[in-house]
Amino acid sequence: MAAARRQPAAGPGVLRSPALPVVLILAALAIGVTALLPLIQSSSATSTAGDVRALEAERTDQRARLRALELEIAQLGSLSRIEQEAAARFKMGPPKAQNYIAVDAPAPEARKIPSRYLAAQADKDSDSPSLFEDILDWLTP
Amino acid sequence: MGQLQILDHQEYATEARLSHVSEDTISGRRGALLDRNGYPLAGSQDSFDLMVETKAWSDSKNATESAAALSPIAGVPAEQMVASVSASSIYEIPVERGLSYEQAQAIRKLSLRGVRLMASSRRVYPEGNLAAQLLGFVGQDNSGLTGLESDLNDVLGGAKGTLTYERDGLGNQIAVGERQEVAAQPGANVVLTIDRYIQRLAETELEKTIEKTKATGGSVIVVQPKTGEILAMANSPTADVTKPDLSDDSKLALFRNKAVTDTYEPGSVFKLVTMACALDLGLVGPYTPWHDLGVFKVDNWTIRNWDYSANGDQSVTQILSKSLNTGAAWLSTLAGPEQFYSYVDRFGFGKSTGSGLGGEVTGQVRTPASDPGSWRSVDMATNSFGQGLSATPLQVLMSAAAIANDGVMMKPKIVKEIAYPGHIQTVASEAAGQVIKPETARTLREMMGVVVDGISPTLLDVQGYKVGGKTGTANLTVDGGGYKPDAYISSFLGIAPLDNPVLAVLVKIDEPQGTPWGTVVAAPAFEHIVEGALPYLTIPPTETALVSGQR
Repeated sequence: MAAARRQPAAGPGVLRSPALPVVLILAALAIGVTALLPLIQSSSATSTAGDVRALEAERTDQRARLRALELEIAQLGSLSRIEQEAAARFKMGPPKAQNYIAVDAPAPEARKIPSRYLAAQADKDSDSPSLFEDILDWLTP
Repeated sequence: MGQLQILDHQEYATEARLSHVSEDTISGRRGALLDRNGYPLAGSQDSFDLMVETKAWSDSKNATESAAALSPIAGVPAEQMVASVSASSIYEIPVERGLSYEQAQAIRKLSLRGVRLMASSRRVYPEGNLAAQLLGFVGQDNSGLTGLESDLNDVLGGAKGTLTYERDGLGNQIAVGERQEVAAQPGANVVLTIDRYIQRLAETELEKTIEKTKATGGSVIVVQPKTGEILAMANSPTADVTKPDLSDDSKLALFRNKAVTDTYEPGSVFKLVTMACALDLGLVGPYTPWHDLGVFKVDNWTIRNWDYSANGDQSVTQILSKSLNTGAAWLSTLAGPEQFYSYVDRFGFGKSTGSGLGGEVTGQVRTPASDPGSWRSVDMATNSFGQGLSATPLQVLMSAAAIANDGVMMKPKIVKEIAYPGHIQTVASEAAGQVIKPETARTLREMMGVVVDGISPTLLDVQGYKVGGKTGTANLTVDGGGYKPDAYISSFLGIAPLDNPVLAVLVKIDEPQGTPWGTVVAAPAFEHIVEGALPYLTIPPTETALVSGQR
């Protein structure tokens, strides 16, 4: 009986076929991975795009902060504040008389326009899209 | 289903798109207005507008809670925000504008549904209301509405851009959604010819004079005769550009730059033009004798001196130093109408100065050619001492600037440089023409020095410098013709230093109370302005002033 139930041994040169369930599992895995790939890519792109937007927002905020500080400097240097500080802190006042003396030295050079108010170089980065922006454009219809 | 998906497809598709796609207009950063040394008089600060989706706040609980959270940060009462959103029928409305970076950060942290921040900018004036009417102000859309903000709007404003994007339920941009951006271009910075120090000096002296004389207002302008550059242009009463109040016409009128938009009868300062005409034509010299009877007859009209005096034998220089109306009328008669009005025209009266300032008017000069039907000889006689014609303060000042510049009249210039991103455009000074001979101008300057020598040092004594000038006291005209009784405009038109003028200054005071004479009212302000400005501009004083002790 035992001999009758024994499976015949495969002969030399004959390949054993994988069991169907294994094939199905492998196929399912392949399909799953294939399906997952765009999802992973999309997720990664979404995450990167989110980072890009966050960095852009941060750049905007920092620029806003910078400009606010520039104007604060300007306000601190305003004539009314200088006059106020001179009077309050240093107890200065208008001269009662003006005396002129000759000084054997050249006059100081004319003041230059502070560079922060001159034309800024164009931001070349903002002219052309970044790599991530290109990828996003490619991914989105 | 067919109706929805086929027949009305476009309509629903559009509605769906509108509900999740936003299009924002992005303003380029507005350029700054800088003084001649680069100090900002007006600049832009990035700010944020607080936007609320009306649908998101249709739920009263959400609206109340969100508004309560926003209120302490935005500084707007919660009820006001809820009311403005519920009253709106559009998709999204701003409940507050011009929030600072810190306020925006705090609001972002709240992550409220239907609330978002839109980048914007707001105008800041670091020097406060310095040169308020000249600079003007911008509206909520960041466009210039008055003054240089309006005149230079195209240059300062840059180009607007747009940002189109898909958004989520909170109103935030979807990372991988549709996004199209047309970048905004920043505006150019404009460097003005105004010097903040001299501007402040002019404004301070103007206010002091008005307070002292209880006048209703006035103007002070300072220019460089050689270049035509306007160093200061002050008017009073002035406006608040930091918080513009446009609630009625009278408040709106405060934003008018009266130095160019309003005219007046210049009075005796105009005798400089009459004298220039007579000298330039070679009709008289500074020492030509003339006998003043106290009256001068023109047709059936009698011209009298301002003090009704008869001065007897006088020189032509004394006509100016004593400001004799009779003498001025005589000089104009010597020249004749054709020549007289030719010089009036050359000096720029009755036409634009070419300053480019918005609202500039030309003033009025009636001539035999322009008004042959009603012009009479007596008109020229009264015109010779600055009555019967009207001019802007800037026109009056530019006539003196031409005398100071050896007879070359420059066009008034207010913009020195325009700094575009990447390059700087320099604005060149431009001559309007040679209005009188250089030697005539030099003679006139000497005569202006004599005029100042005749003024009491208690009223005009510029320490360290010799100056020249002419006083003026004119009647105040009223709408519809005629003069306002006992109302005058007092002025002083001066140049400094006399031998090589670098400044021409007009001080004009409207309706001073008490003594109205220009010598008393306006000359002291001229003295203080010049005394402050010349050392500041590193103009050396006269050698006699170089002493080690106190004068």
